[in-house]
Amino acid sequence: MEYVMVPVTGTLIWYYYICQREVWLIGHQITPDQSDSNISLGRYIHENSYDRERKELVIGHSKMDVFRVSNGELVVGEVKKSSKYSQSARMQLAFYLMELQDRGIKARGELRFPQEKKLEEVVLDENILEELGRASQAITQILSLQRPPEPKKINFCKNCAYAEFCWA
Amino acid sequence: MKKTIYIFSDGELHRKDNTLCFEKEKEKRYIPIEDTGEIMAFGEININKRLLEFLSQKEILLHYFNHYGYYMGTFYPREHLNSGFMILKQAEHYMDQTLRLKIAIEYIRGGGKNIRQVLKYYQGRGRYVGDKLEAIEKLLLDIDQQQDIPSLMAVEGNIRSWYYKGFDDIICDTNFVFEERSRRPPKNFLNTLISFGNSIMYSICLSEIYKTHLDPRIGYLHATNFRRFSLNLDVSEIFKPILIDRTIFSLLARKMITAKDFDRDANGVLLKEKGKKCFIHALEEKLKTTINHRDLGRPVSYRRLIRLELYKLEKHLMGEKTYTPFIARW
Repeated sequence: MEYVMVPVTGTLIWYYYICQREVWLIGHQITPDQSDSNISLGRYIHENSYDRERKELVIGHSKMDVFRVSNGELVVGEVKKSSKYSQSARMQLAFYLMELQDRGIKARGELRFPQEKKLEEVVLDENILEELGRASQAITQILSLQRPPEPKKINFCKNCAYAEFCWA
Repeated sequence: MKKTIYIFSDGELHRKDNTLCFEKEKEKRYIPIEDTGEIMAFGEININKRLLEFLSQKEILLHYFNHYGYYMGTFYPREHLNSGFMILKQAEHYMDQTLRLKIAIEYIRGGGKNIRQVLKYYQGRGRYVGDKLEAIEKLLLDIDQQQDIPSLMAVEGNIRSWYYKGFDDIICDTNFVFEERSRRPPKNFLNTLISFGNSIMYSICLSEIYKTHLDPRIGYLHATNFRRFSLNLDVSEIFKPILIDRTIFSLLARKMITAKDFDRDANGVLLKEKGKKCFIHALEEKLKTTINHRDLGRPVSYRRLIRLELYKLEKHLMGEKTYTPFIARW
């Protein structure tokens, strides 16, 4: 079946470092169970954190959670429920920074975990850029597959809103 | 899990601030919106556009039933889970006769095997249903050989007629004889119960489909005309025997529903409100019952099993895993 290619987005980068099957599913708009409690909690945190800051900066296909300008520098923040998957989160935010950089905007990134009252800085460097390039290619490759990659039981399945879909 | 709200009385259902309110003559009842999964309206209820907007926003389906408890329709908020990929796959499997037949066969097989399971249970309890079981076992073997949907439906019809022959042996109550399957209107008490239960089953399946990426207008066993929902009828085939029929048998055996719970009018036999409530209560209990799911490694309710069944269909359509229906083991 002919299928229109979806562009690589920050969300896909996030999923790429957790589960490749999720990348394919999300890329084909097969979204996870929306009534899953973790998803509801994530949505709640997203909607109810950092009320005083400006929300949602949209550039291209990316949507950044919060942003502010401090000392003439743009700071974009990505809000996460927990720091458990911080590598995923770092790469997602780095992807946004790269998108901004491609448009000539220099920015700093902050990963925010409101429930843990934690904040992590993310800065682009050569290594991260290279890794992002690799990930983007891999994602495009996954999305072009006729079928999603087979489900694998990993640690993440326990709390995943796709679990019932994958293991039914 | 979110609750199903059943409304039997007449009154007005409206949005009150950020929640739902059902107002009867003297009484006001608030319904927590975040805890509501779907609404089943049996009574005469007045609604307005503001309510419909609210229900759409919260992705809540409103199913309505007529005076006789028949499913009439659903207020179906706009689709919120769109996957072009899935719809194309669904259509592909409908348009190709071989692919369509493959899925239809599984639905008949699932329904038939669950029917067999119900009969087996009652055979174990000393009811005389052996001859029906034998006939059904034979028919189950025929399913695979069918070359088209009409002949498949004919096998299904035969299975069902043997199954219904067993009803009198199972129920053993002269007030509730089966006679023949009569619909619109049902002519006797038992048929009224079956119709009522099936109506609810169809709407529950529709609600579950709404939470997946499947389009309820494309069914495989039941013909699609792209106007009426038909996928929910397909999925119901599997669950009707183990959920609806079993509920009926147990309610009658415990005399929780008796001849007194029915009214007869010019158009047929009606289940009174008390009877409907009793039925729904028992069914809801059943839907909440959990069983251990081996592959998932956690307990799932019967209601959830319906959703899993849809996920299995999605995976079949994606070419990932061949669909096999849920068969009760007890």
